Amino acid sequence: MANKKRALRVYFATDIHGSDRCFRKFLAAAKVYEADALVLGGDIAGKGLVPIRSHNGSLSARVRGELVTVRVAEGERLRAEINRIGFYSVIAGEDEFERMEDDAAYLSQAFTAAIAEQVEGWCRLAEERLDSKVRCIITPGNDDPLAIDPVLKAAPRIECPERELMEIGPVLLASCGDVTPTPWNTEREFSEDALAERLSAILDPAPKGAKVVANFHNPPYGSGLDFAAELDETLLPVIRGGRPSIIPVGSKAVREVIKKYQPVVGLHGHIHESKGAQRISKTMCFNPGSEYSSDVLRGVLIDFDGAGDYLDFLFTAG
Amino acid sequence: MADSTMSRGTSAGRPASQGLFTRQSSGLVRELGIPAATGIALASVAVVNTFINFYGGLLNFSQVDMVLPLLLGAAIWFVAMFAYRYLLQAIPRAGGEYIYLSRIIHPAIGTMVGIACAVGFSYTLAANANFAANYVPLALNSLGLAFNSSALTSAAGNITSTTQCIQVTCAPGLVIFAVAFLVIVGLGSIFSLRRIAQVILGLVIFQVLAFVILGFLFATHSHQDFVNALGSFSGKGSAYQDVINLAHKDNIALGVSLGASIFVVPFMVLNYNGVLYSYYVGGELKRPGSTYIWASLISIALLIVVWVGVWLLMVNTIGLDFMQAQAQVGTNDAANYGAITSLQANAGGLGYGLVLSGDPITKIFIGLAVPAAELAVDLAFVAVVTRVIFALAFDRILPIGLAKISERSQSPINAVLVAVAIGIVFTIGGSILNIAAISANLALFFALVLLSGSVAAIFLPFRRPDLIKNPATNDVDRVGGIPTAAIWGVISTLGALFTVGVIISKPNVFGAFSYVSVGSLIVIFFSGPIIYFIVRQRRLQSSSIDMGLAMRELPPE
Repeated sequence: MANKKRALRVYFATDIHGSDRCFRKFLAAAKVYEADALVLGGDIAGKGLVPIRSHNGSLSARVRGELVTVRVAEGERLRAEINRIGFYSVIAGEDEFERMEDDAAYLSQAFTAAIAEQVEGWCRLAEERLDSKVRCIITPGNDDPLAIDPVLKAAPRIECPERELMEIGPVLLASCGDVTPTPWNTEREFSEDALAERLSAILDPAPKGAKVVANFHNPPYGSGLDFAAELDETLLPVIRGGRPSIIPVGSKAVREVIKKYQPVVGLHGHIHESKGAQRISKTMCFNPGSEYSSDVLRGVLIDFDGAGDYLDFLFTAG
Repeated sequence: MADSTMSRGTSAGRPASQGLFTRQSSGLVRELGIPAATGIALASVAVVNTFINFYGGLLNFSQVDMVLPLLLGAAIWFVAMFAYRYLLQAIPRAGGEYIYLSRIIHPAIGTMVGIACAVGFSYTLAANANFAANYVPLALNSLGLAFNSSALTSAAGNITSTTQCIQVTCAPGLVIFAVAFLVIVGLGSIFSLRRIAQVILGLVIFQVLAFVILGFLFATHSHQDFVNALGSFSGKGSAYQDVINLAHKDNIALGVSLGASIFVVPFMVLNYNGVLYSYYVGGELKRPGSTYIWASLISIALLIVVWVGVWLLMVNTIGLDFMQAQAQVGTNDAANYGAITSLQANAGGLGYGLVLSGDPITKIFIGLAVPAAELAVDLAFVAVVTRVIFALAFDRILPIGLAKISERSQSPINAVLVAVAIGIVFTIGGSILNIAAISANLALFFALVLLSGSVAAIFLPFRRPDLIKNPATNDVDRVGGIPTAAIWGVISTLGALFTVGVIISKPNVFGAFSYVSVGSLIVIFFSGPIIYFIVRQRRLQSSSIDMGLAMRELPPE
């Protein structure tokens, strides 16, 4: 078989959860993997805010449930460690720290501000580091507060086509960070029916015959890209036969929409531990997984020909 | 201090700070801490196998004392430990030298060592299973003595009964045991590595306890006690002196020679082989750099203390002259040695312990120490070889199905099946065919693997400085202007080259060179680049993506 000529190479990664190092790697991926477009498919925000208490020349914080105290000089290392596990940190004096303890709304506001500040920083970094020919698309996921959408849309070097169709070379990118309900009640959760409507509303305007890439954060149900541990009502894993019960947790709406519209490629995330590639009807679906807490950026390279047809893929871990 | 952490719901689970379940990453999962990594490192070494290497050194060289070789061997691994730390920190993945060389130097070079490791380590699985089988008689004898069971002692005799197999005389009982052993290892390896590591750690503790008991035996018995006990064991009061006299008669030089002790260093380097192997499971280590370095340091320190300590106690209680004489005449003048005593010459310290032990508990520990060691080493080696296979498959050098990770156990389940199947083939093949020549240069193979990793460390700061740049200085760490990683790499390379040099210069000891043995080594190493170029070329013909892209490491800055 002759070597097929590619017209577009997309590098897709997802679920970096506030990892600075993974975002820097994401930007570097364009050059390293010779990609024409970078797509970051949601859940870019960190998981929480850790207030660091500053007192008597030392810094204290509760990290993964453990109280950690370091000297002020080691503050940056502590913050880097906190960032590595997907959290933000803020150094607070006694008064501010106590206010964060007592005032949930204040803490929540600080958390959202931290997310926005990081995303703004990342947008600036993209502007500095990316080659002008490379397109950089970042769409939110269910773990990202709605507040980051305007930040992403305002960034000159970033494209954020959330719930829109956007042309990338020979394909149309349809993006949606909404998901079906999770145990954690995030801001972008919808019932299966409502999600199906929202996805259809994005895809319906696509011209007939257009080659569409579905950038849906939620993976299709039962696709092998959505296996996760079953949790009980206390959010602990259900154990069956001495081992955690693993079940599909994807969206039936996403699966049905893929079957109906048959995009050439589906880009998914959401379930970190379910990396894989799976064909559903004519659609090649991918979930590159996530290993952000180890500073490893998992991704997938996907090539398209001039007609927008999918050519091949390659999973990467960098 | 109250927990005021603010967190939002997340698809990756509630924050661990709240003590709830945190979902895992994709692929291999980072859940191994320092104890688990230490267990894997110590198990890969097979702590009690030191007696085999002691025996090998004493048999092949006259006038050897093991203290200097043990310390020099440890020093070579200690230096290598720092070289590998840079590699693991730069590329914290599963796969060892394959990953380092393919990302730092060239994918073909990486594949060369990767395929060689996959084959060589699978062979090691078989060798360890055979080794365990060969120690079954000693174990059954020990247990028979411990439990006063004649059934156990006769079983020891029955299992060793031989018959003519295709090319060689083999013991079917031992072959069946070895295959069953590998099946058990395979079944055990389908569980999560964290669970396996706990089992391995238990087996390592058992071995260390056996050493402590041996040490206690040697420390609490005088030299005369051993002389008398050997006399009783052999049914001949003068057995001890007779063995030494036989050595004199056979013109075997006894005592200590510095030159001989230097030549025996490769034995001790191989003795420690595996002590750094937690880097092979680098994709599953929590905080890879620090976990690896602590696991390796603890392992090296523990081995120095245990091995040097037991050796010194043996020298004191058993006597160096006797150990040297017994190793040499027990093998080279077996008929006359057998007329003096039935004490198995290659059992070394375990045999001495058996002679001195009076209680059943000690006999049980001594009897089960080797099987426990081999079970641990095979469980660890399955973990090691499957991670190499996983890495090769992840990069598409091998079929992608071999990189499949079980959702339940987070282990590369297909790679486990393949590794154990290859091990069983080697076990059966080695039992019925004469493949000794093929594996004759195994010592050289392990030394070359160490050399390849050391060379990768030299190249790291020059080829991929972006992976180890210090953010504070925006440069790699340097000493006197030379990158620190390269310095450790150079020293480690020198140690590896010394080992390779001695191994090559002493083929009668470390493995004879024949067309078959050298050819096997060439095939094992050079099949890698050939496979790489074929797979790459085939992929390029049908695909637009060069598989070499998967082997590019993203710079963190």
